[in-house]
Formats: sequence, C-alpha cells, structure tokens
Amino acid sequence: MTDKQNSLFVFIEENNNDINLSVNIGKIHLENPVIMCSGTFGYGEEYGQFYNTALLGAVTTKSYSLKPEKGNPPPRICETPAGLLNSIGLQNDGIDCFIKKHFPEAERRGIKLILSLFGSDMDEFSELAYKVSEIKDKIVAIELNLSCPNVKEGGIAFSSVPADIKKIVRSVKRILKIPVIAKLSPNQHNLIEAAVAAEKGGAEAISIINTVVGMSVDIETFKPRLANVTGGLSGPAIKPIALAKVYSLAKEKILPVIGMGGIFSVEDALEFLIAGASAVGIGTANFIKYDIGVTIIDGLREYLKRRKIHDINEIIGRLEV
Amino acid sequence: MKLLNGEIISNERYSEYLYKMVIFSPYICREARPGQFVNIRCAPEGIYDPLLRRPFSIFDIEEKFNVFSILYSVKGRGTEFMSHLEKGDLIDFIGPLGNYIDLAGTKNNVLLIGGGIGIAPLYLLAKQAVVMKKNVFFAAGFKDKSYQKWEDDLIELKIDYTIYTEDGSIGSKGMICDYIRSNIKLFNGYDVYCCGPKEMLKTIQNIYTKSSNRVSVLLEEKMACGVGVCNGCVVKVKHVKGEFRYKRICKDGPTFDIREVIFD
Ligand SMILES: Cc1cc2nc3c(=O)[nH]c(=O)nc-3n(C[C@H](O)[C@H](O)[C@H](O)COP(=O)(O)OP(=O)(O)OC[C@H]3O[C@@H](n4cnc5c(N)ncnc54)[C@H](O)[C@@H]3O)c2cc1C
Ligand SMILES: Cc1cc2nc3c(=O)[nH]c(=O)nc-3n(C[C@H](O)[C@H](O)[C@H](O)COP(=O)(O)O)c2cc1C
Ligand code: FES
Repeated sequence: MTDKQNSLFVFIEENNNDINLSVNIGKIHLENPVIMCSGTFGYGEEYGQFYNTALLGAVTTKSYSLKPEKGNPPPRICETPAGLLNSIGLQNDGIDCFIKKHFPEAERRGIKLILSLFGSDMDEFSELAYKVSEIKDKIVAIELNLSCPNVKEGGIAFSSVPADIKKIVRSVKRILKIPVIAKLSPNQHNLIEAAVAAEKGGAEAISIINTVVGMSVDIETFKPRLANVTGGLSGPAIKPIALAKVYSLAKEKILPVIGMGGIFSVEDALEFLIAGASAVGIGTANFIKYDIGVTIIDGLREYLKRRKIHDINEIIGRLEV
Repeated sequence: MKLLNGEIISNERYSEYLYKMVIFSPYICREARPGQFVNIRCAPEGIYDPLLRRPFSIFDIEEKFNVFSILYSVKGRGTEFMSHLEKGDLIDFIGPLGNYIDLAGTKNNVLLIGGGIGIAPLYLLAKQAVVMKKNVFFAAGFKDKSYQKWEDDLIELKIDYTIYTEDGSIGSKGMICDYIRSNIKLFNGYDVYCCGPKEMLKTIQNIYTKSSNRVSVLLEEKMACGVGVCNGCVVKVKHVKGEFRYKRICKDGPTFDIREVIFD
C-alpha cells in the first residue's frame, strides 16, 4: 500500500468512527439499527453471496414451531400494486432442526440472530423456550410471533388477546431470561393494549408491523389468487400504514419499537426512525434488492454525515408535530 | 450467483408476443448450466410496481461473445416492460439460479419435450448434449406458428426434431403428447426432459408411469425471492409413507424427477 492510499484509508476510518449507528433497544444492543425481518432472509447462506451479513444489526429467523410445519398449499404468492400477498403459512423445519442445522451455520457466519418463535397455544410457546435454552446465550433476543395472518388456529385469534400476550411473554421470559420482543399485528384493534400487556409480561420491545390481511381475485376463473384465499400484504403498499402504527405506538413510550413494513430505501428507514422506531426491519425488499441490508447501513451513515449528526440516536423519535 | 447489471446486445422480436433478448455477461457465460434461470427486475430503479422480479430460463449461451440470451413471451406488465428495452440499455438481474441439469453420466440418448415457452430451458440443454456428442431428439408443441423463427435456432443445432401445432400452421397438426404416446417405443432407453404447461406435464407423467426411462421435469411457479428464502414457490412432492411435502422450485428445482411430483 502506498502512503497516499494509507492516509486515505485512515481518513475514512476516522470519519466512520465519528458516526455512531449503534442503538439500544431496551437491553438489546445492536451495532446498527438495521434488522432483517422474519421469513424474508434465511441464515446468510444466500445473502452472504451479496455482502457480509455479519454487518447487519441483526437477522430475525423464520418463525419456528415445535414440530415441522408443511405450510399452506400453493399458489402462496401474489403480486398486487407495489405489494406482495403471501400465504406461506409458517412453513418451517421445526425448532430442533433450527438448533442443529441452521443455527450453527448462522453462528459460523457471525450473524447476530433474533430467533422468532410461533406457538399455537401457551404450552407450545413454553416448550419452545425450553428447547432454545441450550443456545440462548448465543442469540440476541427472542421474537414472539403473535401476529401471523396465515395460520388458522393460534395466530391472530389466540395471541392477539392482551391477557394471552402477557402470559406468553412472561412464560418465555421466565424460562430463557434473555430479551423478548413481541411482534404484533396491524390487524389488531387494540394495539396499545397489546403493547401494554407485552410490557407487563416483561418484553423488551415491540416489533410492528406484521403483514396486513389482504386478498386478490382472478376475474377470469372466479378464484382467489392465493390457494389460502387470504394472505398477508407486505411491501411499499403498506409503508404508510406501518409508519402510522409505529408513530402511534412509539409516542406512547410503552416499550421501544422496531418498525417495519415496506422499507425499501434508506429514506424509508429514516422516516421510521424519525417517527419513533428504535430500529428498522427490512423484509420484502430483500426479494427485490438483494443487497438492501448494506445499502441502508451505508445510506444511514451518509445521511448523518451530510446532516453533520454524529449519533443516529439523535434522530430517533424527533418527529416535529 | 451474483447481482448483475448486463448490457442488452439485442432484443429481437420473434413474433407478436415472442422475443429473444441477448445480454452481455461473462459471469453468466462462465457459471450457468442448462436448467438454470435468472431473476430480472422489470421496473426502473426506484419504481416498485410491478414489484417482484421475474424468472427466465437461460435459453442460450455464446461463450465466444460473452453473451447469454433469454426467450420470453409477453404475458403481463413485467414482460411488456422488457419488450420495450433496447440495445445498449442495462438490465438488472441475478443469477444463475436453481439446480442445473448435469448430462455427465446420463444416457447417450436424450429426448426433449417442450410445450410453448417450455422449450426455452431445453434449448441450452440440447446444445450442451450436442457438444457431448449425445443423440438428441427435440419434440416441440405449440398452439400456432408464433415459434416459427425459433425453428431456425433449432436447425443450427443439427439435431433431429419434430414440431406439432394445434392449428397445423407449422410442423404437423396435433398435440405433442399424442406424438410421444404413439412413438414411445422409439424412445426406449432415452433420458427424457420436459417443460411446458401443467396439463402437458401431467400427461407426460401418465405416459411414463410404467416405463423405466429417467424423466425430468422443469417446473414453474410464481416466485418472490427466487433464492430459496421465502418458501413462496413450492410444489407438492411425494414423501415417505404416502405423505407429501413441499419443495421450492427456485432452489430445490426447477428440475425434478417427474415421478416425485404431485400435480393437483
Ligand atoms: C424457473 C422459471 C423459468 C421461466 N422461464 C421462462 C422463460 O424462459 N421464458 C418465458 O417467457 N417465461 C418464463 N417463465 C415464466 C415467466 O417468469 C412469467 O411469464 C413472467 O413472470 C410473467 O411476468 P409478467 O409481469 O409479464 O406477467 P404477470 O402480469 O405477472 O402475469 C401474466 C401471466 O403470467 C403468469 N405468471 C406470472 N409469473 C409467473 C411465473 N413465475 N411462472 C409462471 N407463470 C407466471 C401469471 O399467472 C399470469 O397468467 C419462467 C418461470 C419460472 C418459474
Ligand atoms: C414471505 C414472507 C414470510 C414471512 N414470514 C414471517 C414469519 O415467519 N414470521 C413473522 O413474524 N413474520 C413474517 N413475515 C412478515 C415480515 O417479517 C414483516 O413483518 C412484513 O413483511 C412487513 O415488512 P416488509 O413490508 O418489509 O416485508 C413474512 C413476510 C413475508 C413477505
Ligand atoms: S421464490 Fe422464494 S423460496 Fe422460491
């Protein structure tokens, strides 16, 4: 390396070090506020071919249940204006397979993992928590999926009741004693109540939003475009809804909020942070812009540099109304 | 696989709805194998409608020129967008994706059955089989003469082939599956690869239930990620004890053993 290159390198390093992107979401510390959403990322094997996935603030896994789940019949995917309807139905290999196979792979890659869990009743959530005990010190947090629109039993019906939310969070927290995030649904009318219940149960943060219930009809065949009839809408189409939910919840200051729903660019991510999200989740964008994770991290740094702001925390929740 | 921006060398109209797009990409030429596909962004940067990428089989590779091509038929907004792209434009795609067909260690005789745009992935396979000095027969079926120009590409391969059209406008009149059924003995001991509409694939599955031929099928389903993370593109396949399970077409496929697939 020539001297010139050397000094240039130092200059950039210093400049980057000058800017703090790290955030604390309750007791969860992340190097940057960019999290990959549950069900949209895998374990780094795929996206590791585009960039170093260890650079991400965290990666949330697909939601795991106790036993493997087949998921819903196809077609499971339908595109709508600037949106994606899915009815995957929580297809997963079961928690044992995650612990044995996917977790070591993610660990090897240095990925900071948030493990998403889904149970169809209280007992399943507790049993899942016991299973996770062996790896609990190696993950950042547990996220409880209390809001999947694609499963009939459990899902919305059972886990949207505030009293249940409190019980589930409490039981998982007691067993694992690591940070627990409650992922809530935008389809839920009592969002604030649900968040309060999660807080009482000992949750560290709230993730919103999961997908919005939606459907699409084929007018030639008179059939729904998803075999499951309805599905969950994600992508740019839901961004304004997500932003409003994040804002309305964050301003109550019940718990820190991880905001997600239609984030496709650094500008989108900034909107969520300014509206009150302590971190942002990127989901559907991963399917279209495979390198979106690093693009947003770099973009946040660039934005702060341009605005001469040294700490990302200075913009969180600074919406002027 | 890589996220790439390739220069369009040409985007030629074959017939009313059929186009061949030639794209510059040394990486794809080097890495891609028959049966694989690319996932193309069908909207300008910053525009999210249509949102998802669209999958297209790698139709041909010309290593000499560092170009590959896709043959596509205009169906909706994504392919409509592609049809307006011109020489010199850049196209955003990722690839190569999916499992590939490895001809090494397979039978010396290869039968390819393509219906409609299903001929697209089979063309590269035919080309490679020729390089490997295999005996290739291409059986293609279409509705009408919209694939007439493709026949010129096929002629270049100097292989035996037959074309059937429903209206008899090119080749023989009739259905390609009927041809296969009547001539099944002719193709005894051939390895079979097929791609096309679901009804055609079901018929081929029926035709070959009792035979010992190795039959592979290339499947299609709507895709979201294209890289195996969303479980959106699944197909039902046989599992142990009469059970079924789902496999992902983008990652576990698109090529499957036809006997494992459950068409319903
Ligand atoms: C692995 C794979 C390889 C493919 N290779 C080719 C190819 O070489 N050439 C080619 O012309 N087409 C190919 N297809 C199909 C192609 O992806 C679709 O035709 C295209 O996505 C339609 O996009 P659109 O926006 O124009 O149409 P849309 O408006 O999205 O849909 C128009 C019609 O196409 C159907 N369609 C949409 N997406 C798909 C899809 N992923 N698979 C099947 N049907 C779909 C819709 O159901 C609808 O009937 C392939 C599909 C897969 C899964
Ligand atoms: C294909 C797909 C699968 C998903 N699977 C899960 C899941 O298993 N658990 C979960 O909590 N959320 C799941 N989600 C919801 C996302 O994590 C996210 O909350 C939602 O898609 C909104 O963000 P987006 O618009 O950026 O995608 C899924 C979303 C998609 C599109
Ligand atoms: S399209 Fe996502 S798994 Fe195949």
